[in-house]
Amino acid sequence: MEFDKKSLLKLGKLARISINEDNLNNLSKDLNSILEFVDQLKEIKTDQVDPTSNSLNQKLEVRDDKVDNKNSTEDVLENAPEKEMDFFVVPKVIE
Amino acid sequence: MVAQMIEGWNLVIGIEIHAQVNSKSKLFSSSPTDFGSKPNSQVSLIDAAMPGMLPVINKFCIEQAVKSGIGLNAKINKNSIFDRKNYFYQDLPQGYQISQYKDPIVGEGFVEIETKNGQKKIGVERLHLEQDAGKSLHDQDPNFTFVDLNRSGIALMEIVSKPDMNSPEEAVEYVRKVRSILRYLGTCDGNMEQGSLRADVNVSVNKPGNELGTRCEIKNLNSFKFIHAAIVYEARRQIKLIEQGESVNQETRLFNTQSGETRSMRSKEDAHDYRYFPDPDLLPLTLDDDWIKGLQDSIPELPDQIKERFINEYSLSSYDANIIVSDKATSEYFEDVVKNRNPKLVTTWVTGELFSILNKKNLIMEDSPITSKQLGELIDNIENGKISNRQAKEVLEEMCESGKGASEIIDEKGLSQISDENEIESLVDSVLNSNPENVKKYKNGKDKLFGFFVGEAMKLSKGKANPKIVNDLIKKKLSQ
Repeated sequence: MEFDKKSLLKLGKLARISINEDNLNNLSKDLNSILEFVDQLKEIKTDQVDPTSNSLNQKLEVRDDKVDNKNSTEDVLENAPEKEMDFFVVPKVIE
Repeated sequence: MVAQMIEGWNLVIGIEIHAQVNSKSKLFSSSPTDFGSKPNSQVSLIDAAMPGMLPVINKFCIEQAVKSGIGLNAKINKNSIFDRKNYFYQDLPQGYQISQYKDPIVGEGFVEIETKNGQKKIGVERLHLEQDAGKSLHDQDPNFTFVDLNRSGIALMEIVSKPDMNSPEEAVEYVRKVRSILRYLGTCDGNMEQGSLRADVNVSVNKPGNELGTRCEIKNLNSFKFIHAAIVYEARRQIKLIEQGESVNQETRLFNTQSGETRSMRSKEDAHDYRYFPDPDLLPLTLDDDWIKGLQDSIPELPDQIKERFINEYSLSSYDANIIVSDKATSEYFEDVVKNRNPKLVTTWVTGELFSILNKKNLIMEDSPITSKQLGELIDNIENGKISNRQAKEVLEEMCESGKGASEIIDEKGLSQISDENEIESLVDSVLNSNPENVKKYKNGKDKLFGFFVGEAMKLSKGKANPKIVNDLIKKKLSQ
């Protein structure tokens, strides 16, 4: 898989990571080498294998519908850079 | 008016309903789901997406999704997968929503709706489980957005229809029907004002015979009225564009509840690229046959079946039955009252007088100020001729205010209807005797005077005489 500069800029935009022009070449090269490495997986023959999203031979763990509200508002907000009246405060976002 | 604007055009509508699962705790955490709590007071470290926290699924939510699937006549998928839907937004702390993409828990189904052309089947494409996002408040401060994560992680069922609806009325009927089914099942409370059930509506227009038009999606409609208004506005907007030789852009739009207009939110070019992939924190969900069978056996009687039964058992019209079964509380109330009583009378009183009281007081059936027992007692008094229909309305109003029983009010007000023939006969005699001129005129062919005699007799009884007996007696006496 090829990772061109246009795709790289789009990925940056989607992830809200700013990528400046100077870095573009290096980043593109790096990402391509990562993808090439992962592409080795394609060499394995899988046409006889059922697709699976998980390799563990286990069932999904479930829990009962019980309320346990142990995390207080202060704990949750503790790491927030900005907070007010028990809200997280972020730069104005209107879509 | 709607029909005029849209005449000659074909409307195609598909709907995504987001229905909040009626669970006490969230889909992947044990935080409570109560509405209207203090900001950020129902947020666990999982909901706030703190590093290292792992989701564990709520068994109850899985059950509710499967039950809903059964209620929608849908295929239950024994294997389903949770995926990450990636997008960046301030009320989504994980940076992705856990949802289901290619392998939802519930597959194809259908619901039947009533249209002006009879029954219509609306296809359901799928139902899947996903997390709700938090809530952003943009109006608290000119420069900042405030975020409340209480809703973050609450379980939603997204129900996707096929594009099978062709008018705003059909769209509203479909949402009504799905809501009603979920409420009967108890899987979602259907409270649209609180956002427990909301709809995204896809609309396109085309000329009959032509291929489908480009569709627009209108997001987050939370009342039947808005669904209807948004579709009408959007269809007209698209028709106007096409008639002016322009084309419709595929985009997401927002409905302004104040102006009744839709405006562009984002176009297809800016459409999110969600980069779905299976969530590595969650194993595939597998359901076994016995467990599904157990749930199937626990499904209560649903509106379509109750409607059938009401029509057969109580000879209700399809129209009346439809009104009564569309709400679970109403159908239960009706059945309480109708036992051993005249179904026609009960239907009239429930859908007529009682509904009008509830409307006036802006109440739902669950909060009816008149219990089914009270209404039953009132109807008994009508059936045995003790009070007239008109008097019964008076009693009902009083009942509403004081909460007293019908018989008690009738005694207190001295309303009891006179049905004793001898008593009424003497009333009638005195009316006829004091109006000899009119009796003469009547006998000479002035038929209209009949009403005059009835009115006089009723007046004399202070409105208490049984009108039917009065009528019969006057007719008898005058023909002598």
